[in-house]
Amino acid sequence: MFNRVPRWRVKKRRNIDEETLLRVKFIVFRVVVVAAFLSLLGQVWHLQVVEGTTYQKKAEYNRLRVSPLSAKRGIIYDRGGNILVRNVPSFTVAVVPADLSKEQQPQVAARLGKLLGMPADKVTALIDERRTQQFLFAPVPIQAEVPPEVAFTVRERLSELPGVTVLVEPMRYYPEGELMSHILGYVGRISAEEYDRLKDSGYDLNDELGKMGVEATYEKALRGKPGREQVEVNANGLKLQTIKAWDTTPGQNLVLSIDLDLQRKMMQYLKEGMEDSHFAAAAAMDPRTGEVLATVSIPSYDNNIFSGSVKQDKLAALLKDPWRPLFNYTISGTFPSGSIFKIVTGSAALQEGVAVPGTEIVSTGQISIANQYDPSIVYTFKDWAALGRLDFYKAIAQSSDVYFYYLAGGFRDFKGLGIERLARYAREFGLGGKTGIDLPGEVEGLVPDAIWKDRVKGEPWMTGDTYNMGIGQGDLLVTPIQMLNMVQAVANRGVIRKPQVVRQVVDAEGRAVQSLQDRGMRKIKVSPGNLDIVAEGMRQAVEWGTATLAKIPGVTVAGKTGTAEWGPIDPATGYRPYHGWFVGFAPFDNPEIAIVVFVEKGKGALVATPIAGKILDYYFHREQPVAKGQ
Amino acid sequence: MEVRQWRHFDFMLFLSSLLLAGIGIALVYSASHSSILPDTPVRDLPATRQFGFVLVGLLFMALVMTFDYRTFGQIAPRLYVLALAILVAVLFLGTSIYGARRWIDIGPITVEPSEVAKVLMIIVLAKFFSDRKEQMRRFRTILISLVLLAGPIVLIYLEPHFSTVLVFVAIWLAMVVMAGARLTHLGLLALPAAVGAPLAYFVVLHDYMRERLSSFINPAADPLGVGYNALQAEISIGSGGFFGKGFAQGTQSQLHFLRVQSSDFIFSVLGEELGFVGAAVVLTLFLVLLLRGLRVAAVARDDFGRLVAVGVVTMVLFQFFVNVGVNVRLLPATGMPLPLVSQGGSSVVMLFVALGILQNIAMRQRGLEF
Repeated sequence: MFNRVPRWRVKKRRNIDEETLLRVKFIVFRVVVVAAFLSLLGQVWHLQVVEGTTYQKKAEYNRLRVSPLSAKRGIIYDRGGNILVRNVPSFTVAVVPADLSKEQQPQVAARLGKLLGMPADKVTALIDERRTQQFLFAPVPIQAEVPPEVAFTVRERLSELPGVTVLVEPMRYYPEGELMSHILGYVGRISAEEYDRLKDSGYDLNDELGKMGVEATYEKALRGKPGREQVEVNANGLKLQTIKAWDTTPGQNLVLSIDLDLQRKMMQYLKEGMEDSHFAAAAAMDPRTGEVLATVSIPSYDNNIFSGSVKQDKLAALLKDPWRPLFNYTISGTFPSGSIFKIVTGSAALQEGVAVPGTEIVSTGQISIANQYDPSIVYTFKDWAALGRLDFYKAIAQSSDVYFYYLAGGFRDFKGLGIERLARYAREFGLGGKTGIDLPGEVEGLVPDAIWKDRVKGEPWMTGDTYNMGIGQGDLLVTPIQMLNMVQAVANRGVIRKPQVVRQVVDAEGRAVQSLQDRGMRKIKVSPGNLDIVAEGMRQAVEWGTATLAKIPGVTVAGKTGTAEWGPIDPATGYRPYHGWFVGFAPFDNPEIAIVVFVEKGKGALVATPIAGKILDYYFHREQPVAKGQ
Repeated sequence: MEVRQWRHFDFMLFLSSLLLAGIGIALVYSASHSSILPDTPVRDLPATRQFGFVLVGLLFMALVMTFDYRTFGQIAPRLYVLALAILVAVLFLGTSIYGARRWIDIGPITVEPSEVAKVLMIIVLAKFFSDRKEQMRRFRTILISLVLLAGPIVLIYLEPHFSTVLVFVAIWLAMVVMAGARLTHLGLLALPAAVGAPLAYFVVLHDYMRERLSSFINPAADPLGVGYNALQAEISIGSGGFFGKGFAQGTQSQLHFLRVQSSDFIFSVLGEELGFVGAAVVLTLFLVLLLRGLRVAAVARDDFGRLVAVGVVTMVLFQFFVNVGVNVRLLPATGMPLPLVSQGGSSVVMLFVALGILQNIAMRQRGLEF
C-alpha cells in the first residue's frame, strides 16, 4: 500500500521538482547549522558574559574554603595558682559531606565503621542528617575521643577514605571533678538555638562553648578569638595552600577567688556533717572584697562527663537523681531563712528607732492576737522557749521569736516596723533579688508583702504574717548566697557587693587584663553603729547563746542560727522537719571571712552550726595558709 | 590524482579543521598538566600523544585523498562486514572501563571501534541510498536501510554507548532525508517511536542513562554524583567571563573540580581559561567547517558523494552540538567528545579520514553548485 503513488503527486513534474527540493533541503540544512551555532553562542554569551560574575563566585566557593582555627581556651586557676582545668588533646573522626560522593558513601561508611567499631548505618545516618541540613562543608563528627592509636590508623588510611578527616581538638579536663563542678561548670557542643544566636559572633557549627559555671559566664574571655584560614582546596577537599589567615588570639585565663583547700574542707565537713540530709550548701566570702572563698553544693557531679563526647549513661543517671546534682543549691535553691532573718528585722528596728539596745521585752513563750476582722478568732505565736526578760543583745543571742514579733509587727502598745518597712529592709539587704554573682542560674527568692499577698493569694496581709516574716518564716524565700551577702554586710558594716568567684582575668602572659574587685559596690541604709549592735548580738550568740557550736579556739566568731520549719510534721519523730542555717563571720573585730551553711531537712541549726565551726577552724588554723584577701 | 583536482581542494575546510585540532592539543595540555606526574617524559604527555594522533590523522587524510572516493562505494559491502566485525570484536576482546566495553587494545594504542564504524556506516548508507535513488519513495527501502543500521546500533548499544547510537540515528536521518525519502514515511516511523518513548525510558535506557536525565533536571540533588559534572561544567564556563582566566589558569580545571576535562568536558576548560573570546573562536571554526562541508555536499558530482558528505557533516554537527550543548547545559549529560578537539586517538584520526573523504569529494566535484 505504501508503493501506491497518491493522485495529487502524479500531476507534478518530478525532475524539476527534485532539483528544487534538493536546493531547499540544502538551505534547510544550512539554516540548521547556523541555528545550532547561534543557540550555542547565545548560551555561552549568557553564561559567561551575562551571568559571569555569579559563576565566578561559585567557582571561588568551590576553590576556597574558610576553615576556623580555634583559639586555645583559657585556663582557670584558684587563688593559690592551682590549675582547675586543663586542655588535653582529643581526637575526633569526622566526615566532610561535600567531599564524599553519595556513591562512595556506603563504602566509606563501612570502612570507617570497622575502624571505629561502630555500625556503618550509624555513620551513614550521621552524614545523611547533615546532608539534609545543607551545611556540606562543615565536618560531621562521627566519633569523638577516639583513642590515639585508632586516630593514627584512620589518618594513615585517609587516601581510601575520601571526605574523612581527623580533627585534633583540645578537650577540657577538670582535675578536681565534683569538688569544683558547680563553680567551673562545663563546656559543650553548641546547640542549634545557640548557633542561631551566635553565628554572627564567629561561632561555628561544631564549636564548643561554656554551658554552666564560669565556663559560661566568662565564655567570651576564655574563648579568645578564633582565627580563620582561607585555603585553596582541590576537588577532593585536600588543602593545597593557605591563601589568607587571620591569627587566633588565645583565650584569657581566669584566677578564681576560690581557695581550693578551703573549698575541699568545706565539701568534706559539709558531707560529714549533713548526716542523712539529701542536700546541703555552704559558701564563704571575704567581706572586705566580696570575693567568694569557697562555695559548695551537695550533691555534686563530675563535670568531666561533659567533656568531649558526653557520657550519656552518666548524664542520664544525674538527670534521674531526685536530689538533682546538677542544681547549684547555693544560688538556685530557695528556702525560708528561719531565724537568721532576725539580722534584717533587728537592723531595721534599730535604724527605724523601733528598738534600742536597751529595749526590754518579756517572752513568756508565746503571744496571742485576735483576728483584725473577726476578734473571736485568736492566733497564738510561740517562742521556742519562755526566755523571760530580754534586751536586744540577748534576744539575738538566744534567738527569741517573741522579741522579734514585737519588733516586726508590734504588740499592744509596742509599735512594730510593719510589713512595708520590714520588706524594704529585707530588699535593702539584697533579699528578693539576685546578688549578681558571676555564676549562671541564680534565682531571686521572694520577699512577700501586702501587695504580693493580695495579688498572689487574694488575701489581705495580717499582723500574723508580719510576725512570721519577722522571724524568717511564712512565705519568705531566700537563697544561701543571699544569706551570705546579708551577713557579710553586717561584718563589713554596711557594704554589699556582687559576690564573685573570679578574682582576675589575666592574659596568656599572666598580666591582669581585668580586675573584678569592688564591682557593683553599694552601701545599705543601716548605720554602722546599728550594725555594731547586731554584730555584738551575734557575738554573744556564739559566746553563750544558740550558736555556741560555732565557737573556735583563738578567734572570736559572731553568728546566727536558723531553724526553718519546712513541710508537715514527720509522724516518725513527731516534729516538723527543719532546714538548718548558720550565718556568721570572724574574727569579730576585723572580719575576714563570712560564712553560710545550709542543710536540708534535719535537726536544724544543731547540724549546720558545727559544720560552720569546723570550716572556720580550718580557715584560721590550717598549717600553711595561702594568701588570704588582698 | 591529477594536479588540476587540487584547484578544488577546500582550503578553508582544511584550515578550520587544522586550527580546531591545534586548539585541541593545547587544551589537552592544559587539562592534563596539573594531574600528570612531574617526571613524565614528553613523549608520554597526553598533549604529545594527541599531537601524534593528529599527525597520523593527517597522514590518513592524505592517503584517503589519493583514491577516488567512489572506490569506497564499490567496497561498501565489505566495509559493512568490517564494521560489524570490529563491533563484535570489542564486545569480546574489549577493555572494560567504567563498566563499558568500548576499546580494544592493539599494542601500545587503544582503538575505539565505534568511531571507525561511524565513518564506515556513512559510506555504507550513502552507497545503499544512492543505488536506490528510484526506490527512495518506497517505505520498503527506508525499512531495509533501518535493518542495515540496526546491526551496528544493537552492537554499540550492548557496549553500552548510547550517545554513539544517537549519532548513528542522526546520520541516518539526515542522509535518508537528503536521499529523497518522503517525510510522511518518516512521520510514520516517528509515530511508534513517540508511543514507545515512555516504554523505552524504562526498558531500553540503562540505569545510568535515566540517572543522567533526572540529574539534568536537578543537578544539585547529589552535587558529587551524576549531576556533579554538569554543574561544574556550567560553573567552569560561566566563571571564565569574557576573556577567561588565562591558559592553564582555570581553577575549576586545574584543581579538578571539573572531571573528564580532556575529553567530554574540554569545552568547559576552553570556556574557563579562554573565556567567551576563546569559545566564540571555536564555535566559529565549527561553523566554517560545517558550512564548507555542506558546500562540498552541494557540489559533489554524484549522489554517493553528496550523501557521504552529508553524513560526515551530520556526524560532526551532531557531536559538536551535543557536546557543547551538554557543556553549556542546554542538554542532559551525555558522554560525547568534541570532534577534533577532545583527547582521543580513534576519534581524531577517523575525523581526519572523514575530512579526507570530504576533500576527495570536493576535488572531484562536477563544478556545479546547488
